[in-house]
Amino acid sequence: MMFKEMRVSADASQLISLATFASAAAKEAGFDRKQTWRIELAVDEACSNIIEHAYSGQKGGWITLKIAIEPNEWMQIVLEDQGKGFDPTKIASVTPITSLDHARIGGMGVHMMRTIMDEVKFEFKIPYIGNRLTMIKKV
Amino acid sequence: MSSSLIINELTPEKSKDGTVTVPVLQVSGRLDTHTVGILEKSLSSTMAKGVKSLVLELSGLNYVSSSGLRALLMARREARERKGTIMLCALTPQVRDVFDMVGFTSLFDIRDTLENGRAALR
Repeated sequence: MMFKEMRVSADASQLISLATFASAAAKEAGFDRKQTWRIELAVDEACSNIIEHAYSGQKGGWITLKIAIEPNEWMQIVLEDQGKGFDPTKIASVTPITSLDHARIGGMGVHMMRTIMDEVKFEFKIPYIGNRLTMIKKV
Repeated sequence: MSSSLIINELTPEKSKDGTVTVPVLQVSGRLDTHTVGILEKSLSSTMAKGVKSLVLELSGLNYVSSSGLRALLMARREARERKGTIMLCALTPQVRDVFDMVGFTSLFDIRDTLENGRAALR
């Protein structure tokens, strides 16, 4: 098993670093090109939610990305933040969208995360940690 | 390491009677929360010229997240209010995959090539 970790400021300019870090780990885990790219997208969406909602776009917060890999078996992605605890599952999802009139502006990112990953779990206000999102995908 | 999005407004074609046809924006790079403002600004300034429809050439767009999708959705709605449309051309496999994932494929006019997109709006 392999572990990787990075910590960056909660700023949109850091999204590509987080996404690329996850993408490289996905390749090491043995995912094909399409799944690797999709995992990168899931991490991007999760981190965007943290930046925009948990920290409300304000500077000064941090995002910690922890990845565990069992090559050719599974990959676990953990994201931790100390923001206000945004629970996207409380937003009713209307995706996939079937009509321009019914298309909602929010909820697409969480829909993507759930589509891409096998497990998505949100935890809030964990003592000494903050908020934690755990996503798991089997190879 | 940085993400970037580049938008070029292509020289508009002119029809046989000399009138300019639908404007074309060539969008390339990475469209995410960090770069979406560049697209929004470009779409806004183009629509402010009073155009009803717009073609987006996306063969160089190798990444789109939900932030980018929201910008496209808003532009599509605005175009519809003007009795126009947003034509998307030459989607990369990655962008097509995201469109399929959220059901966007049915909301936009999509063509395989820029030429086909332009032809459909002539």
